Amino acid sequence: MRFPSFLFITLLVILVRSVSAQPAAQESVAKDSEHAHHQHHVASHEHHGMQMDAGGMVMNENHDQQPRDCGAIAGEQKITVRAGTTYAQRFNGTIFAYDQHEWNIPPCTKVTVTLENEDSVRHQWMLHGLPRYLHPEGMFHLEVNGRGSKTGTFITPGAKKTYLVHCDVAQHMEKGMKAQLKVGGGDGNLPSIPGITAARYPETYANSSRKWAIVSASIVVLIAIELVLRLFWRKDMKNL
Amino acid sequence: MFISRALKFFLFLILLAAATTFLPRAWLPQFLQSYYTTWFGEPSYEPPPNSQKIAIQQAEPFCPDVHPEWRKQQEVEGVSIEESLACLPDNPWAVAAFVKGTNNVSMDTLMKSGLATDAVVLGEDKDGDGDPDVVMIKLEVAELNGRSPDMEEVIPAFSIAPGIQPGLWVFAPKIAGMATKNIETTEANEMLRAPSPVIRVEQGDTVQVVLENTHYFPHTIHFHGVDHPYSHHENHGNDGAPETSELPVMPGENRVYEFSQFARAGLHTGHGEVEPGKQRKFELAPRQPGTMFYHCHVQPQHHIHMGLQGMFVVEENRPNNWVQTLNIGAGHVRHRSVAVREKYVREYDLHFQDIDSQLNDLIKSTNDPRLMEQRMNRQYNIIKRSANYFLLNGRSFPYTFRESLIVAEQNEKIKLRVLSGGEDGLSLHPHGHKVTITHYDGVEHNPQAQITRDVVWLSAAQRVDLELNTTNDGLHSYGPGVWMIHDHKERAFTNDGMHPGGSMSAVVDRSYLDEKGWPKTHGVDWAPFFTPQYYRREIPVWTTYDPHGMFGEVSASTVGVGKAVLFGGIIGVLLGGLVVFLFSRKRG
Repeated sequence: MRFPSFLFITLLVILVRSVSAQPAAQESVAKDSEHAHHQHHVASHEHHGMQMDAGGMVMNENHDQQPRDCGAIAGEQKITVRAGTTYAQRFNGTIFAYDQHEWNIPPCTKVTVTLENEDSVRHQWMLHGLPRYLHPEGMFHLEVNGRGSKTGTFITPGAKKTYLVHCDVAQHMEKGMKAQLKVGGGDGNLPSIPGITAARYPETYANSSRKWAIVSASIVVLIAIELVLRLFWRKDMKNL
Repeated sequence: MFISRALKFFLFLILLAAATTFLPRAWLPQFLQSYYTTWFGEPSYEPPPNSQKIAIQQAEPFCPDVHPEWRKQQEVEGVSIEESLACLPDNPWAVAAFVKGTNNVSMDTLMKSGLATDAVVLGEDKDGDGDPDVVMIKLEVAELNGRSPDMEEVIPAFSIAPGIQPGLWVFAPKIAGMATKNIETTEANEMLRAPSPVIRVEQGDTVQVVLENTHYFPHTIHFHGVDHPYSHHENHGNDGAPETSELPVMPGENRVYEFSQFARAGLHTGHGEVEPGKQRKFELAPRQPGTMFYHCHVQPQHHIHMGLQGMFVVEENRPNNWVQTLNIGAGHVRHRSVAVREKYVREYDLHFQDIDSQLNDLIKSTNDPRLMEQRMNRQYNIIKRSANYFLLNGRSFPYTFRESLIVAEQNEKIKLRVLSGGEDGLSLHPHGHKVTITHYDGVEHNPQAQITRDVVWLSAAQRVDLELNTTNDGLHSYGPGVWMIHDHKERAFTNDGMHPGGSMSAVVDRSYLDEKGWPKTHGVDWAPFFTPQYYRREIPVWTTYDPHGMFGEVSASTVGVGKAVLFGGIIGVLLGGLVVFLFSRKRG
């Protein structure tokens, strides 16, 4: 009697694990050792600062400074991000969105991001939490003033971490433009990412009362079934 | 048996009567009270509860004095910026960028102003009189004090007074970077604020106003009182009204509104590309100068009150007339037009508006734009509207004193441009002065028949230009001082009913200002007004000058503990007796 329940619990655990496990694509692009210069950078150095023109701006780029926890730059990646109201149609109750809301990047990788703005208003791709000795305020930032694009480069640090990416035009993050960039598989998910995680302060919708009605009805029906079964079982016992 | 039970009942009644003598006399029925007084005499003195000591929170500094160096008269990029004695003066780099155009200033100035390169683009001098006549202004739509799915706080936060953050929408200049001051705070970037900026152009300029709808709802701009043709040569309207003129600009779209002589003649100007369904061009040309108005015309009964309204000033044409294209937060004009400098020593833009929190705070109630559409457009009913906050240049008292003081010296003429953006009109009353109305709705009033008075009535959406004359003749001015100027509708000098508040400011003689631009007042201590606690109604209003607590908060407990226990005990014994009596009767 103890054995089957133990088996059942084990199966359940395996099932839950397999569902929640993230098949994190860690294609560690281990590059040639010729890049492994082991340069040790001190905290004070020139920042690339800001490049700004009528089309928008690129802020706090980093093309060549290795993060302290990287022995060498392990590889390069290019990503293109499209931004606009069109992409918000996939997520009910949002207005602005990116074409993708999660990117997986290996550690110590030089990433070149192109933000393609498909709207006729300003949009941003702002990444937070990078090392402050490389990026003022820990920020890497692309901003496109309307239709058009901007490209910038930064280098992912060595640690497993999930970085916040968003558009900081007033209320754009709140209304959908929130995403995450996972380095080395990341260290969990951020809240309120469209299509990925729930809001910390979720909405209350009118039909949620209907949901509870269905739940309570199901409970009643199940109890009824159990009672009926017990009745039959008793009859069986009597017949025996 | 029977007798003993009757005796018990009688005893019970006697006990009950005895117990009533312990009750406060006022609790008894009126007829018993007079009997008791006759039998037992006047009740003895019970001291009323003490005044409660209310701990008043640490007040914010009256003047945060963030940028004292911004106050002085200075030159930035060759643009002369007038002295501004306010506690929080306008950013001189932003003023310079608005005068020269964000396309004509250095990267350093642009970064210090926080503006985008294409925020205000100034072009060609068409009439060759030494100033630019082709102007392109880009306006975004910013939400202030909105909802976040990630936290309870509003974002980007904008306080109109201590602890008061009503939901607002504003037209805002096109900025670069974040909507907050920095990544550590939820406080709004200083370019994102109420009211929507004052737009200033020169008469006859070819003006394009580009609405870049960064907001999540549809919007338009209607240029109220500004000369513009009804219809546009590209087969759509030019008047901002969705019912008669044009489709609203949807989120992520933009539209160019234009003021140009060519449009009136029906000629193609060749400005900009028209992208089907995404961008449209509007042409307008202000032939007449004056103080005008612009506002959103989509669901205007809501959008105007949400804050999508601003002042639009067309300055008279003069040679070498570089006007300050935008005045952020209205107020003091630090680079005045040639025509205003001819007659006046200073100029202030005064934008009054009001708020009904029941409408404005709907944006804090949900993050789903569909639910917000329902709550705002179909559930809120403006017929039942009652405004509870009153703003002057985006703030209520006491914050109005940080930004919107009218600084005067004796024997000066000062120009005030006033917009009544609220629904209930404005009874503008300056203490110590009578002002002369020179213009109504941008049109000059007959100079022979101009009216000088101390209450100026403006109906909804109306503008007046006022001449404030500080000649101490007992008519125009009664001399120097810290003279209040306020809407005389009584509710309008409160914050949700708490006085002092609302759109109140002051006309202050320079000699009454300290080095931070704060007025030297004689009256009460302002510390409580700089706490959210005061406006939460937690501080008795006269506390600071009522040392004995004559008007203090009454303590809650009125009965001593001993008396309460005695009284409760008697009641308990009696109830117990009653239960025993009833129980024994049943058994019997």
